[in-house]
Amino acid sequence: MKELVLIFISTVLINNFVLTYFLGICPFLGVSGRLSSAIGMGFSVIFVMTFASSIVWLIYHLILVKLNLVFLEYIVFILVIASLVQIVEMFVRKYSPSLYQALGIYLPLITTNCAILGCALFMVARNYNFLEAVVYGFSAGLGFTVVLLVMAGIREDLNYCEVPKVFRGAPITLITAGLLALCFMGFSGLIRA
Amino acid sequence: MNEIIIKGLAVMGGLGLAFSVTLAYLSHRLKVESNPLVEKVLDILPGINCGACGFSSCRNFAEAIVAERKPFTCIPGGEDVNRKVSQLLGIQSQEVKRVKAVVHCGATKDEKKVSSFYVGPTSCAFVDITLGGLDCKYGCIGLGDCVSVCPAGAISIKRGKVVIDIKKCIGCGRCAKVCPRNLFELVPWQGESKIYFVACNNEEKVGYVKTVCERGCIGCGICVRIKDSPFYLQNNLSHINYQQIFNQEILEEAKNKCPTKCIQELDA
Repeated sequence: MKELVLIFISTVLINNFVLTYFLGICPFLGVSGRLSSAIGMGFSVIFVMTFASSIVWLIYHLILVKLNLVFLEYIVFILVIASLVQIVEMFVRKYSPSLYQALGIYLPLITTNCAILGCALFMVARNYNFLEAVVYGFSAGLGFTVVLLVMAGIREDLNYCEVPKVFRGAPITLITAGLLALCFMGFSGLIRA
Repeated sequence: MNEIIIKGLAVMGGLGLAFSVTLAYLSHRLKVESNPLVEKVLDILPGINCGACGFSSCRNFAEAIVAERKPFTCIPGGEDVNRKVSQLLGIQSQEVKRVKAVVHCGATKDEKKVSSFYVGPTSCAFVDITLGGLDCKYGCIGLGDCVSVCPAGAISIKRGKVVIDIKKCIGCGRCAKVCPRNLFELVPWQGESKIYFVACNNEEKVGYVKTVCERGCIGCGICVRIKDSPFYLQNNLSHINYQQIFNQEILEEAKNKCPTKCIQELDA
């Protein structure tokens, strides 16, 4: 139990995927313009990450390791992630057309989101058991969502600020992301070894 | 060795099959009913996703007009498309105002003075925020941000000057959005053979204009003083009031009288 709590806290805050590993920057910068679409994106990523890490764990340990086919891990992981993203896309399209419009190209792009492949690969490399893998996937997605929401909140407020002309658009977004990453460094002393 | 290949093939094939069956089943279960009318409207629309209507793609536009049934305008489609779509949806067809883009800088590379060179990404947007590249801070940078966004391929750059092919221009206004110096203007066009425009955007006094460009408008007012002239001066720069009704001869006369030859024409 202690292990699970540690994994949860360290993945959400300390080793945050976006601000510490700098994975998944594309949707982080692309969808953080508005809070409403950021929430939708965050939940999609949580869903895909949790299910991807659990299915990947099953396939990896029950099929690939048993059959000595570990070298296939990358291609199998991509296959799993792509299929899950497709399923998410169908659900979103069916049940929330407005969210589907708002997410646009970024929804299918979760397929190539390096955070999700990174999550699967880290999970395998660290030899987690099944429960740990599920918690890891969920907390990685939650960490992504937290950062995405913080960023979206800041960027919505930035709209009302007088940003110098040269910094408007992408530059101020990147500067904000950098400052946010510095803030998240403060979490590194959260758990005493 | 063979064993690994066979096992790999079997695993990949099996997984692929399992996922594809799941996806096929779910796509059947979660199918979204789309309006067949949208497809029909989409077939009539030009399908170039130019964005002139305010929607990001022709599909979004088609969905919106099918849902709302309000009068609409598709500028690139022209009257033909608008009439057909209106008939299909049973709504009042609207008159289409046809517009063409002109660019308010007509100086070639040799005429524009450059005293500091720019080294960096080849994009006007970058040059615009630096001090290099071009002395005139109003003029065309000539790196072709507009060329790359034009969906009709109507813009080309000849000797450092933007040339618009009026026959190809669909009047979507994408170039106007992307130009960092706001050089483009969409002017009404009713099938005249020529479009005249002031090929300068420099609002400074004559002294400054002369130091940065040979082709610039010096604000002399010769074009304004012609009888019934649609020209007017604002901030030391001549403009054409396209809303005023005028005949083409006045414009031709103004073009010939202009001392710096910065009133130019485009053949339609």
